[in-house]
Amino acid sequence: MAIVPYLKPYVASVTAWWKNKRQTGYMWRLTRNSSIWRLTRMYTALLMLVVGILLWVLYQLSIGQLSRSQTQQLDQLVQQQTLLADELSPQDFINQFLLQAEQSRQFVLAYDDGSNTYGRLDTIPKRLAQCPALARFPVYNYNKIRLYSGCVQTLDSGRLMVASDDEALFDLREQFIQASIIALSLALALGLVTGWFFSAQVLRRVNGINQIAQQVEAGELSARVALSPRNDEFDHMATHINKMLAQVEHSFDAIAGVTDAIAHDLRTPLGRLRLRLEQALLDSEQQAVSPEQLASMLQELDGILATFSSMLELTRLEHQQQSKFSQLQLENIAEDAVELIQPLCAERQQDISLKLEQPCKLQGDATLLFRAIYNLLENASKYAGEQAQIQLTIKANGFELRDTGPGIPEAELDKVFQRLYRLESSRNSPGYGLGLPLVRAIVRLHGGEIKLLNQQSGLQVIVVFS
Amino acid sequence: MRILIVEDDLTTQQFLHRALSEQGYQVDVASDGQEGLFLALEHDYQLIVLDRMLPKLDGLTVLSTLRNANKHLPVLILSALDSVDERVKGLREGGDDYLVKPFALAELLVRIEILLQRQRGKAEPSLNKLQVADLSMDLLARRVWRGQQEILLQPKEFKLLRYLMEHAGQVVTRTLLFEAVWNYDFDPQTNVIDVHVARLRKKVELDGHSALLETVRGVGYRMVEK
Repeated sequence: MAIVPYLKPYVASVTAWWKNKRQTGYMWRLTRNSSIWRLTRMYTALLMLVVGILLWVLYQLSIGQLSRSQTQQLDQLVQQQTLLADELSPQDFINQFLLQAEQSRQFVLAYDDGSNTYGRLDTIPKRLAQCPALARFPVYNYNKIRLYSGCVQTLDSGRLMVASDDEALFDLREQFIQASIIALSLALALGLVTGWFFSAQVLRRVNGINQIAQQVEAGELSARVALSPRNDEFDHMATHINKMLAQVEHSFDAIAGVTDAIAHDLRTPLGRLRLRLEQALLDSEQQAVSPEQLASMLQELDGILATFSSMLELTRLEHQQQSKFSQLQLENIAEDAVELIQPLCAERQQDISLKLEQPCKLQGDATLLFRAIYNLLENASKYAGEQAQIQLTIKANGFELRDTGPGIPEAELDKVFQRLYRLESSRNSPGYGLGLPLVRAIVRLHGGEIKLLNQQSGLQVIVVFS
Repeated sequence: MRILIVEDDLTTQQFLHRALSEQGYQVDVASDGQEGLFLALEHDYQLIVLDRMLPKLDGLTVLSTLRNANKHLPVLILSALDSVDERVKGLREGGDDYLVKPFALAELLVRIEILLQRQRGKAEPSLNKLQVADLSMDLLARRVWRGQQEILLQPKEFKLLRYLMEHAGQVVTRTLLFEAVWNYDFDPQTNVIDVHVARLRKKVELDGHSALLETVRGVGYRMVEK
């Protein structure tokens, strides 16, 4: 018992490890409704059933066959002796019988004619039934007990008994049963172990997905299910779940982005409006607030509201599904947009033209496409400067817009698609920095891409719908 | 003219009440859907201004109940829900117009007036000719004259002038013009409509003729009375 103090820390650490496993959920719990237990049970039962059937077939083919042929031989012997008893005189029959009894090693024969018992046995056991029903009986011979099975046939002159040595068959049967028990126990153990192992393999992956779900539930949106190189059903499921999570995270980020944008970019104009109101309130003690003052405040407020709804709209567009699309001709929409912007360009002495290279047919939302084209035209007109040339070309799979303005600084080409981003040079002109992001959202909603390029002559906008 | 306002926000409700009363309408108010529906079924209103989200009974339910009860008066829906889907839903349930909150009071007044006028004009046969002062328009031939002199207009300019003439005497907002003439459902939020109107004005207001189109500051335009 001196060893116990040494073992104690190990025992303690093992129990701690066990508890930890249980708590963190890695341990498969042996509850009635856990899948792993159910699958293991099913697997084991199936294995036992298969082994059982195999054993039964084996038994029938070996021991069963042996015992059937023995019974058959007994029957033949009985028939043969019955026939002889009919044909021979009683004395001849007894002589013949003694010879037969002497010669057959496999069988034990006895004959009782009422006064004597002939053959290998002293007496015919009383329990034996009429042939062909077999019964077992022990025989005591040279201090050994052996088991025989046999039957009795009543003849005219006496009773005939035939029996075969059942000992070997009996032993064989015993051994077979023992072997079967061992085989079945092995099958049970093997079934439990392998069943457990395979179920655990499968369920480990389910559990992995569960854990990720829990993490996401707890707010960790960036968690992703790990993929295996096998590319099986679980990987397909994991891929779908990951895609879904990516979408959710994307939406979440978008909302967060809008919230940030509102916080940052609406605060300034709201603050300005507040100052103006405060000033107007102070002034109103001395003089009436002028309509101009009120009108400019109203304008400021309208600007804030417009920015606000544009931001909401942009978010909505970025996450909209292609629901109510109809068949459209892009050139008709482009025509409307050019017509709308035309007088504005005329004021700036800009030359705007629409060129139809090829008609462009597509599935889409007319209002949204109109807005996209109009926004681009408006941008071109606003930034290209006086007397610029603006050309919109409709192509088979999209459109192209060129202007002869200064273009966009190379370093800022990517940033213009960010929400509320405005070039330094345009910071003081009206607009909310949502035009291009909105255009891109619309184009993407229609399965297209937009590209900006600085050409020697000016800016080139290329929109391609796939 | 009797108008019912169904609106649960008290500030908005009082504000609308005052503004519409000042316009000379007789105004009743209800603060929830149930009360609104009751009043609308009990009395004969010329128009209802209906908020979309109301306590007790949703605005759309009120609307569909009214339509099922064979009340065909014009209904203007007010709502903070501004997606196209929501608009379509509102109009499909039997709304005649849809205004998104926050809205300009002028816009609301103009839209109410247009709805009422449309209601009055329902029985009148459609006209082939429009006339405002010495400006006349032949809708079939698509020609326009100022006095004896013909004015040549582009298709959009023609539509623009037609809308203005049809609503002569009323204030028309930029959004309304854009919707009616360009037929796209959004607010371009620029002065582009002004530029179009200015162009049209230049063509229509010839030397030696009176001005016909006036700008209403912060709201829109008005063609002089017929």
